[in-house]
Amino acid sequence: MSELLVLENVVVTYGAVQALKDVSLKLYEGQIVAVLGANGAGKSTMLKSISKIVPLQSGKIYYKGKDLSLVPAHELASLGISHVPEGRRVFSTLTVEENLNLGAYGGRERLSQKEVEAEKQWIFELFPVLLERKNQLAGTLSGGEQQMLALGRGLISKPTLLLLDEPSLGLAPILVKEIFNAIRKIHEERGVSILLVEQNAKKALAEAHYAYILETGKISIEGPSSQLANDDRVKAAYLGGSALEKKFENK
Amino acid sequence: MIILEQLLNGLTIGSFYALIALGYSMVYGVMKLINFAHGDLFALGSYLGYSLLIWGAGAASQRFGLWGGMIAALLFSFFAVGCAGVLMERVAYRPVQKSGRLPLVVSALGVSIFLQNSIMAIWGPRYQAYPASVVPTHAIHLGWLHVTIMQLFILILSFMLMLTLYYIVQKTTFGAAIRATALDREMATILGVDVRKITLFIFFLGPALGGVAGVMNGMYYRQISFVMGWNYGLKAFTATILGGIGNIPAAMLGGLLLGIVEMFGAAYISSAWKDVFTFLILIIILIFRPTGLIGEKVAEKV
Amino acid sequence: MGKGRGTSKFSLLAIILLFCLYPLFSNFYWTDVAFFFGVYALLGLSLNIVLGETGLFDLGHAAFYAIGAYITAILNTLYGIPIIWLIPLSAIGAGLFAYIVTSPIIHLRGDYLCVVTIGIGEIVRLALINNPFGLTGGPNGITGVGRPSLGPFLIDSPTRFYFYVWGILVIVIICLIRLQRSRIGRAWNYLREDDIAAETSGIDVRHFKLLAFVMGAALAGVAGNIYASKLMIVSPDTFTFMESSMLFCIVMLGGLGSIPGSILGAGIITVFPEIFRIVANYRMLFFGGALVLTMIFRPGGIWPRKREALRLQVSNIDDVKGKVRGKLKAIDKSQNMKKTTSKNNSNEPNTIGNHILTTDKLTMTFGGLVAVNEFDLAVSQGKITSIIGPNGAGKTTVFNVVTGIYKPVSGRVYFEGNDITGLKPHKIAELGLARTFQNIRLFPNLTCIENVMAGLHHRMNSYVLSSIVRTESQRAEEKWALEIAMHWLEKTGLGDVHDELAKNLPYGKQKLLELARALSSSPRLLILDEPSSGLNDKETEELMVFLESLLEEQNLTILLIEHDMNVVMGISHWVVVMDMGMKIAEGTPKEIYNHPKVIEAYLGREE
Repeated sequence: MSELLVLENVVVTYGAVQALKDVSLKLYEGQIVAVLGANGAGKSTMLKSISKIVPLQSGKIYYKGKDLSLVPAHELASLGISHVPEGRRVFSTLTVEENLNLGAYGGRERLSQKEVEAEKQWIFELFPVLLERKNQLAGTLSGGEQQMLALGRGLISKPTLLLLDEPSLGLAPILVKEIFNAIRKIHEERGVSILLVEQNAKKALAEAHYAYILETGKISIEGPSSQLANDDRVKAAYLGGSALEKKFENK
Repeated sequence: MIILEQLLNGLTIGSFYALIALGYSMVYGVMKLINFAHGDLFALGSYLGYSLLIWGAGAASQRFGLWGGMIAALLFSFFAVGCAGVLMERVAYRPVQKSGRLPLVVSALGVSIFLQNSIMAIWGPRYQAYPASVVPTHAIHLGWLHVTIMQLFILILSFMLMLTLYYIVQKTTFGAAIRATALDREMATILGVDVRKITLFIFFLGPALGGVAGVMNGMYYRQISFVMGWNYGLKAFTATILGGIGNIPAAMLGGLLLGIVEMFGAAYISSAWKDVFTFLILIIILIFRPTGLIGEKVAEKV
Repeated sequence: MGKGRGTSKFSLLAIILLFCLYPLFSNFYWTDVAFFFGVYALLGLSLNIVLGETGLFDLGHAAFYAIGAYITAILNTLYGIPIIWLIPLSAIGAGLFAYIVTSPIIHLRGDYLCVVTIGIGEIVRLALINNPFGLTGGPNGITGVGRPSLGPFLIDSPTRFYFYVWGILVIVIICLIRLQRSRIGRAWNYLREDDIAAETSGIDVRHFKLLAFVMGAALAGVAGNIYASKLMIVSPDTFTFMESSMLFCIVMLGGLGSIPGSILGAGIITVFPEIFRIVANYRMLFFGGALVLTMIFRPGGIWPRKREALRLQVSNIDDVKGKVRGKLKAIDKSQNMKKTTSKNNSNEPNTIGNHILTTDKLTMTFGGLVAVNEFDLAVSQGKITSIIGPNGAGKTTVFNVVTGIYKPVSGRVYFEGNDITGLKPHKIAELGLARTFQNIRLFPNLTCIENVMAGLHHRMNSYVLSSIVRTESQRAEEKWALEIAMHWLEKTGLGDVHDELAKNLPYGKQKLLELARALSSSPRLLILDEPSSGLNDKETEELMVFLESLLEEQNLTILLIEHDMNVVMGISHWVVVMDMGMKIAEGTPKEIYNHPKVIEAYLGREE
């Protein structure tokens, strides 16, 4: 297995806040790697730094051994990096199909029209509701449908690496299940490597091979996901158990 | 039949407004800037077309014929004004963009003053007139209907241009990329859209269409002046808001609608007060439907 | 400091002397240029109130100028009313006009407001051309406007007009400086910097926006009066969109909200074209280019406003610090008294009798999305209640509804037993409810102490006139506000940076400053949206201690949204868990920690 994505001592600051403090991470080809942590821990920032929406203060990011600092943001898509950001961010006044077509925009040089059509069909099989609504404006879709559209838009360019930010956010449990089934299929049928940022730790650990836990911008725990799934420290990282214990000990 | 003729007149003026409004709307879409210099680019187009047509005592018309000369003037103006637009973006807007909205507005006002006075310095402060020999002047009669050839030409060309633009923006993937950039720059970049390229395209095409409108306006009224940019710019801008700013079909609709409203307002209410009504409509629309007639509602997040 | 004051006084004297002697060395032509400089300075200052101080995009300001000029011309030529008497009438007329036309549009923001003001400007100009009721003389305007006279002293020569306009200007400048450094000027600045933060701090945003328009218009009306009497003719072609754009450029060239900047801008606009008269046809061309260049190299203007250190009224800040420390004890004592009375309350947090805030089936939707769904909340007096839940659960929306930023679709909000549903945010703030924001909303270009004083705004009374006159009570009030603000800065550990601009503070201190602003209004309920986000461990710890101490000292109740579970579990008395807009659980921190539904909402469910 070769390294697909490597983060080396990445530091990101917003104004005076350090959002990422010296974060290092590795993702091997064909893997699903989960990044877990409470709100505000810096998970989304990490994905944004990979897709160059936020600049690095220091550190390096390599993709297939290539230093990404030399690549302009809009060319990442053509290299096979696809980012499905938090909050879906579908283009609300464009139709579902236009949204999907735009997903292929960055890969238009490496993909033939036929391949794009084939991918589109596959996405419609994956999420049949998108086919039903293909001529509807994306803004009129429900939250779950928008998430499916965002996923589909991120997949249509046949990416090598998928950066997936909180795909289950704000969705009803039944839809969460559906989205995670889709993620499994994407990985199994297309062999896409996935960097998955999630709040839903149990779900994410069930899918991922390896996981990192981010706490206030730092990686606090890492390991194979089967190990972390039974680790009490994971629960503590989310629910702040340490403070509670401290408090009860004091009383 | 008078009504029909007025409708035609309204549509003719409306198509000028619509072509200019497109530029306002496209630029607003990608930069969130009311480009106050846009009206002056329209005037510049008018003067450039005029210069080409009178150059060498009408050499263009003699060489290529009446229509050939007109087409040459339109093409020349299209490309020259388009390039001026790109230059304007590079010199006056891009360096100011990071400083915020207000400095950008002042920069646009500065460009407007600069352009207007450049035109005056080059072509003089007095009215200039397109010579009668370079444009068709005869009219045709369809039953009782009286239409000039020029009017027909303007309507056909404007509609062709608008349809082409409509096709590009609404039906092609590149057009979808333009609309996507206007909605969410960052997401568009993630998907591989080169926002700089889109911006350049917008700043070429918007002014270029304005330039064409300027030449047609000169051919239609024959008389042009260096201050015409303010007036047409303001009207076309009203049309943009009327339709819904940032939305391209809306700008076309707004322009045509404004032309018609103005014509009928002048005919049936009062020609002196017609512009007052135009602006009143503008204000009322902004109070009750700030997104324009067919603009989408955008929720403001706190 | 005394020395600096001395030199600045000296240079002021030199400038005044220079202005007085100027006509002696100049010909009539250049004296007239200086006159128009004065008129444009007045106009620039008038637009500066609207655009510079308050941040309202007004690109139709020439309309107010026109109203003033035409009121003067019409009343003078028709009824022979002396020009001098018409100064107040022009001001009132223009102000009234501004009030009528801007009332329905004042809620519009940014570009929309800009477009509407352009429309108003054009309507006024076109109306003047169309000669309504035969009053305005049509395109040619009105001729034969008289000259002003001060008693028997007729103002007719260029030199006299020069002194006349600059005399008025000096009075106006003094008034404006005083206004700028008062409750009114600060209120304008607050809403320019962030109108939502201003509104939730207790400032009636609509009122102060209208006030800015009315005062700006009135001053432009005065300029119109002077202009009409100088030229003895008014005509519509003076009051074009171009004129409004020029005024806009004056303010922007000088620097937003800067009085000397606006005067300088006016100087540039009037004198620049005269200097370049040699190149007659090209002068405006150069001017346009110069505008662009200025915006590229000095986007903030040539002479931007430096925030005063608010030492004007208080000669020695250390003096205040000392006094405050004395007072601090007194305040604490009185708070302790209150506390003992509230101590008797039951310790059971969910008992009905002592809820300071309750919501009843609160529902809020955006488009089709139900953000908050029949949410019931009860916040106990004197306790810390936390709302937790995954991202997008609707927590911040609850805060926004409670503080009046959103009107709920259905349901009610009660504060201390009173129904506050649908009240405007500044009214709710006045009732004793203060808040902070998830992504800090400070007034970035104002000093720390000015930021904190925003919370005191609604407890002060001085208005335009008392601020200009600087009455005894106004000065006492300013001093009082300064002391309280200083007290809270000291309390939050920001005492040493009181004169620093808020935007220059590091993130952690900005959060504290926002907290100080909220506390300065002496709220009974403090609502904090993620107070610890972005803070490091040590800062978070300090914050927790501080919040707990407030509860004791200030007889305060705290409601907070927090993502750092260490904070939530550490200091809350009661925790409410939200998911998908609904309350899924509530209880003591310990109960919540082990609640299966909560664990599921956070960690997800395993199949």
